[in-house]
Amino acid sequence: MSQIELIDIKKNYLGTEIVKGINVTINEGEFAVIVGPSGCGKSTLLRMIAGLEDISSGELRIGGKVMNNVSPDQREIAMVFQSYALYPHMTVAENIGFALTLKKVDKAEITRRVKEAADMLELGHLLDRKPAALSGGQRQRVAIGRAIVKRPKVILFDEPLSNLDAKLRVQMRTELMRLHREFGSTVVYVTHDQVEAMTMAQKIIVLHNGYVSQLGKPMDLYREPDNTFVAQFIGVPKMNLLQGKLQGNNFILQSGHKVTIGGGYGCIGSLQLGVRPEHLTLQPAATQGNWCVDVVERLGVESFIHLHNSEHESVVVRVEGDCEVAINSEVGLKIDASHCYLFDEQGKRLVQQLQATEVDCSRQAS
Amino acid sequence: MVAVVRAAAGDVTVREYTSQRRAYLTLVLISLFCLIPFFWVVLAAFDPRASQFLQVPQDITFEHFRKVFADESGMRWVLNSVVIVGSATLLTLLFAGFGGYALSRTQAWWKRPLLYAIILVRIVPPPALIVPVYKVMLFLNEWINGVINQLTDNVEMQQQLSRMFSFIDGYLGLILIHCAMQLPLAIWIMKTFFDAIPKDYEEAAALDGASQWQTVRHVLLPLALPGFAAAGLFAFINAWGDFLMPLMFTSSPELQTLPLGMFRAFLRVDAIDYGFLTALAVIYTLPAVIAFAFARKFLTQTFSGGVKG
Repeated sequence: MSQIELIDIKKNYLGTEIVKGINVTINEGEFAVIVGPSGCGKSTLLRMIAGLEDISSGELRIGGKVMNNVSPDQREIAMVFQSYALYPHMTVAENIGFALTLKKVDKAEITRRVKEAADMLELGHLLDRKPAALSGGQRQRVAIGRAIVKRPKVILFDEPLSNLDAKLRVQMRTELMRLHREFGSTVVYVTHDQVEAMTMAQKIIVLHNGYVSQLGKPMDLYREPDNTFVAQFIGVPKMNLLQGKLQGNNFILQSGHKVTIGGGYGCIGSLQLGVRPEHLTLQPAATQGNWCVDVVERLGVESFIHLHNSEHESVVVRVEGDCEVAINSEVGLKIDASHCYLFDEQGKRLVQQLQATEVDCSRQAS
Repeated sequence: MVAVVRAAAGDVTVREYTSQRRAYLTLVLISLFCLIPFFWVVLAAFDPRASQFLQVPQDITFEHFRKVFADESGMRWVLNSVVIVGSATLLTLLFAGFGGYALSRTQAWWKRPLLYAIILVRIVPPPALIVPVYKVMLFLNEWINGVINQLTDNVEMQQQLSRMFSFIDGYLGLILIHCAMQLPLAIWIMKTFFDAIPKDYEEAAALDGASQWQTVRHVLLPLALPGFAAAGLFAFINAWGDFLMPLMFTSSPELQTLPLGMFRAFLRVDAIDYGFLTALAVIYTLPAVIAFAFARKFLTQTFSGGVKG
């Protein structure tokens, strides 16, 4: 049993509440990713699970047992640090086997298990080297090896890929997923990179200002964000938010554009319309209500076009493949109203009861 | 090298080359001038006709060294110095290790004031401290001698214990004074060293199941070795060269250290024996050189690559 339960977990540091009451259950064998911006309390939360930080209030259970006052080594967990924290005076083999050496495991058994972990991570030929003689990716593997050799029930990762270059990061992501499949340990993985969260997680926990903003499966968070924070944090580029008012079935943007999104929101007044870049389409410029092209980012398979209008609103549009638009040219914009989200002034999602229809918003509202 | 780089501007190159040669020549002359006393000490120590002038010995003799060890109490002076300074260095390293680590890891408001207070002790000239320190040592001395007298009635035993543990005219007193004098700098060095060792290592060790002692033994000590070498070397060389404290706090000939032995040999009323004095100076210098050679191995040993900065 390696289910992790966080029950109203809080952390105070010098009178400031950093973690403000977290209630989350991470199931046995699950790959959970805690994601959030810098300073949201995600690393503190992970360190509380590890036992490296005291829990100010609340209860932490691992495998059903309360772990609040249990020392880190008694929690049957392993942790991979952002900095790797490999002992620089020890060889790779000594680093990986250190935990077993401390437990006074038989030497032959240590050698066997170190070799097994090293082979799994393709480190077999580096066992006699010191960390200084390894590349960033190899050091990362050694850090993972040090964690898995203990055969822990829970493995904690604290932004483990943030020091690697982009190519290696992609490679390590797939390797971590493979390792998780092979080991079946419960994984809690902290990152600020939503791409890592989306690609690896079975459950994402979005933290914001010490609270859980939303938790769920990656695509559930992408499709059904509870609030503007999650809506903008999950997905690259972030969701566009446009200020406006709801009048009947229509959402009236500040520029006067009208989007027919249907009724049933049970709320009127100042609201925000959220729409993802892939649900916007460029149109030929109309006589009025056009957008000006700021920047075009061409990534080959797709392009992102940054636009702004006379009301100083800005949006990003995703276009398949290349896009032939000139900088500073005027374009029209079509919003796919069936993929629009409505948020209140506090950023909370308003749930729609009826289906919306697609409208052309480059036409000015009457 | 310069000629290759500046081949196009021939005049400039020649002028630069000449001025560089002049600069090196001047530096070599200054260096030689500074080295003359060292040459003299080494040459005179092996010269049967050693005098106050620098001269190449016609014969080589070990007579002066024999005299130091056989005719005088040279061996006792060396042993006294090694035991006192060695123990003081070890004690300094022990305290500096604990103190430096604590000061590095604590975030308390008093950390900075305390650090400056510690270094302030170092700034005060040692002669200015002699009277108050002597007072304190005198008080402690009376107490320890009282304890020794209570422990045994055997006078010989009392004398031996007193020589060991007395605060004045005893090994313990000198060791503690040397330790106190060297501790401020050592604590600063160790604190700075521990600052450079990321806390991640200790946390990783804790998760690996290491106890406090195992973390210190397997992780912190090996990582802080260059720091200990630096702090130890400074403490040893400073204490080894100290003359004032042994002069003030010892009086028995049995407790005489090397600098005191040398000083008293120099002050003898009969003719100055330069051979004897220089042999003593060579003996006095050797342990410091050995200490440096020993520490150098650790000083250059840096550990990197464990954490990604």
